[in-house]
Amino acid sequence: MRTLEPWVGPPLDAFLSESSARLVLLMTSAGQVVAQHGFARSLDVMAASALGAGIVASTAEVARLMGEPDFGALVHQGAGHGLFISSFDTPRGRWIALVVFGEDTTVGLVQLFFGRLCADLRAAAPPEQPRGPVLAEDFEHDLNASLHALFGR
Amino acid sequence: MSLVNFTTREITCKIVYYGPGRSGKTTNLQYVFGRVPESRRGRMVSLATHGDRTLFFDFLPIDLGSISGFTTRFQLYTVPGQSYYNSTRKLVLQGSDGVVFVADSQAARFDENLESLQNLQENLLEQGVDIRQLPVVMQYNKQDLPGDLVLSREALDDALNFREVQSFAADALHGSGVFETLKGISEQVLRRLAAGSAVG
Repeated sequence: MRTLEPWVGPPLDAFLSESSARLVLLMTSAGQVVAQHGFARSLDVMAASALGAGIVASTAEVARLMGEPDFGALVHQGAGHGLFISSFDTPRGRWIALVVFGEDTTVGLVQLFFGRLCADLRAAAPPEQPRGPVLAEDFEHDLNASLHALFGR
Repeated sequence: MSLVNFTTREITCKIVYYGPGRSGKTTNLQYVFGRVPESRRGRMVSLATHGDRTLFFDFLPIDLGSISGFTTRFQLYTVPGQSYYNSTRKLVLQGSDGVVFVADSQAARFDENLESLQNLQENLLEQGVDIRQLPVVMQYNKQDLPGDLVLSREALDDALNFREVQSFAADALHGSGVFETLKGISEQVLRRLAAGSAVG
């Protein structure tokens, strides 16, 4: 499991063991990854995150057109795997959870423990600290070297 | 908005390619996908119609490497250019750290460029973002077409580049100007981050 901030870890750990989910991805509503469990490659996580955020954004837009405040969660059931996607509020803004589960659990259990995950995350979030500049004085040199290495010009 | 992970020292930035339909936004990403080493990029996701027109977005994550000790990744998105897809354009634009405006250099497409640029400003404003505060570069694509069909970079700068941002002439199909454009927006986004004004 990888998390952007350490306080996300324990609630996510508890969710994983209780729900028996196989893959979990937490992201911001813009599709930026906050935490993940089970993905092998970070760049694949980003693709899943972009698609998950797109699904939630387009579903919310459909809800708006229908005059519904929210559709809550979305579930897809495949032959071997199920997919549960839902957005929820945290002290750090609106996040999205994408959960992949197998035959060893049910969508009901995932949904049940997802409610607890949301509550645990809300309770665990520490007050946000203001941050200063991120990159150091060697930034310019590193930037130029990286751009040159990647783009070759 | 960029995500900065101080624990694992990672930075992730979102760059959106915007512009009128058929101006070459997807072609830019396809060229980058084809030229960046596999170890430095993820899979390209395209949500398109059967006619290969972008329906929702194209997405390509690339790994820029280490900058000031931070593993730096960019997420490249395109928006659907056709005017009736504005609601999906707005969704993709959310949380962007920088925008590449891909204009079609053909004189016949001038009005579509202007309309799309105005649409970009309106959509950003709706999300509380002033385009003057956001890193933006202009790309004038299809400069390889015959001279009597296209406007020059200078003419397009005069007509579209009100903010006098960095601009690039390009032929995205064959790659000319594609990496220069990406390098230009990358520099701006990371410089803004270095200044501490875009930390998430």
